[in-house]
Amino acid sequence: MVMATMRRGNMLYNGPANQIHSLVLFSANLSLGTFGDDEPDNFDINCFSQLEFKDSYSSLTCNFIELPPDNTNYTLALCNKEDSNYVCFNMEKREDAYFLQFTDILSNKDICMDSETKRRVCRSLVVTDMVKPEVPFNVNITYQKEANEYLIHYSTPHSWKKYLQDKLIHQIAYRQEEGTWKTIESPYLQVKLLGKNLENDASYEVKVRSQPNGDFFKGTWSEWSASKSFRTTREQNFMESYSNVVLVILSILGFMLSVVMIVLIGTFWENRIKPAVWPNLPDHKKTLEQLCKKPKNNFDISFNPENFGYVHIHKVDDIQAKTEQETFLPPSNAPETNLPGKFRSGSDLKMIPAMTDKSNPNLPVTYGGIWPSEALHRLLGTSQTAVTEGNCSSSTYEVCHSSGVPLHDNGFNHSSAPSSDPSVQPGPEPLNGDTISQMLPTGEMRSPNNEEAYVTMSSFYKIQ
Amino acid sequence: MGNKTTEIRVKYENILSYDINELVNMSAEYRDRCCKNKKHENTKMFFCNDTQEIESLQSMACNMLRFFHKQKISKDFRWKAALVSCGTLQVLQCKCERHKKEKVCTQLNTHNKEDTETGEQSKKKCNQEFCELKENTSSLRSCWNKFEKIISR
Repeated sequence: MVMATMRRGNMLYNGPANQIHSLVLFSANLSLGTFGDDEPDNFDINCFSQLEFKDSYSSLTCNFIELPPDNTNYTLALCNKEDSNYVCFNMEKREDAYFLQFTDILSNKDICMDSETKRRVCRSLVVTDMVKPEVPFNVNITYQKEANEYLIHYSTPHSWKKYLQDKLIHQIAYRQEEGTWKTIESPYLQVKLLGKNLENDASYEVKVRSQPNGDFFKGTWSEWSASKSFRTTREQNFMESYSNVVLVILSILGFMLSVVMIVLIGTFWENRIKPAVWPNLPDHKKTLEQLCKKPKNNFDISFNPENFGYVHIHKVDDIQAKTEQETFLPPSNAPETNLPGKFRSGSDLKMIPAMTDKSNPNLPVTYGGIWPSEALHRLLGTSQTAVTEGNCSSSTYEVCHSSGVPLHDNGFNHSSAPSSDPSVQPGPEPLNGDTISQMLPTGEMRSPNNEEAYVTMSSFYKIQ
Repeated sequence: MGNKTTEIRVKYENILSYDINELVNMSAEYRDRCCKNKKHENTKMFFCNDTQEIESLQSMACNMLRFFHKQKISKDFRWKAALVSCGTLQVLQCKCERHKKEKVCTQLNTHNKEDTETGEQSKKKCNQEFCELKENTSSLRSCWNKFEKIISR
């Protein structure tokens, strides 16, 4: 009686949850000494369940750890206790394991061992406490260069099933070639390995397995997934640090260059940069004022020759450069020598050397003045000879005609018609102050037009 | 009682609720326009009575079991409905008034689906039994939701 009672109540879990042990009553038998007739029932079975392994069906797989010594054929059955009835379903024997598929995972079940010679021995079994997940698959490793990390991601069939979808713990094992395995656990379907924790340019191997997280479903690790190998990059740290150093140096140099440029631009903007980039166009009004300087208070400004009657003006029609020089040079010719003095003394005569011979300061080439009549006659007389001898064509302007005859009565401007203006005819008549001969300041010779006043561009620029 | 309600709650949340949702999704795939138009005579109405949720659930589950052999209903649908019914009874530790109904659960446990009597019923066809079962399913889910909120407090 006692023994039977003990047997029925003897449903123990010894060790891991997936192992169902039938406690040896031997010890209890031996202590009591009255159960020598009963043979000890001792069988160890390893069982695990797989939920939703095929559609709505779950499965139970069991195998003996230690076979009973007499090698009797045994039968395993999964039984449900319904009311007073025991409804059992025999497990299918497949090689060394026993297999059964079923749908109900909610009810408490018993697993019973039957043999030809022995009584049925049953053990309670909770299907949800011995769950073995399916093997993970599709293990991939992706290198993230910027972060220097290796992303390991994988898949599990339970992702599209009902019960274990988010209730698994995954274990990732990795090692260097033939090295020691290291493991990481995660509830997610991806983990990261830091590149700095791995050897450079080395080969690594990765594999994954899963287990219920233990909140409701408990069980064992699944089988390992297929291994996946990958190789780490070369000189990751060196390249990273080198590129960082180069970047820092370039940044500093760029910043310093910017500062220098800003300072230089600020310093030389007004004086050099702006005038070169943005030329200063002349202001016509100011320039004109400079050209036509305001006279002094007592300075008469007029273009009417009659207003300057009190001024000794040496009228000049043309300028003869070289040829005239010879006629003026003889020492006995007092007017010649005195001429400059007379000229200088009594008038606003401006002496300008001829263009052809600038070295001779005594050339009686006049500018802007009217010669006294006496000097003019003397000059004209000598100049006629000089003219005949000389080469009038050598200079731009000629005082006298080559024939020696005065070009005009006034001796002016042979190239043009004699002026009808009495103011420009000194001839035998004394020159009057109205005669004005104007010439351009320097370097510019042309036939003077008595009433013409103009400014050429050269003088414009010169003044500016 | 506290341990019992906890056990009911965890079993419902981790297993039965998924089966019920799957059953509801299956019923939604069927065209239900006909169920709204037809007047179903002798249709038994089920209510989830306050403070009597377990009894209401038991009644609904037992009623659903009678459709297991209705060949006019899709095999997959009535098979799944039977699973849900049996699971409800198992979690609540209830029995039906007519014990024969629980035998269906025993058959479900190990028999293949192919062994079930197959009826030539198309998903698109509408019949009264299908409409009743569909309505029964909806009532069952609603009552479970209500009961879970109560026992989760």
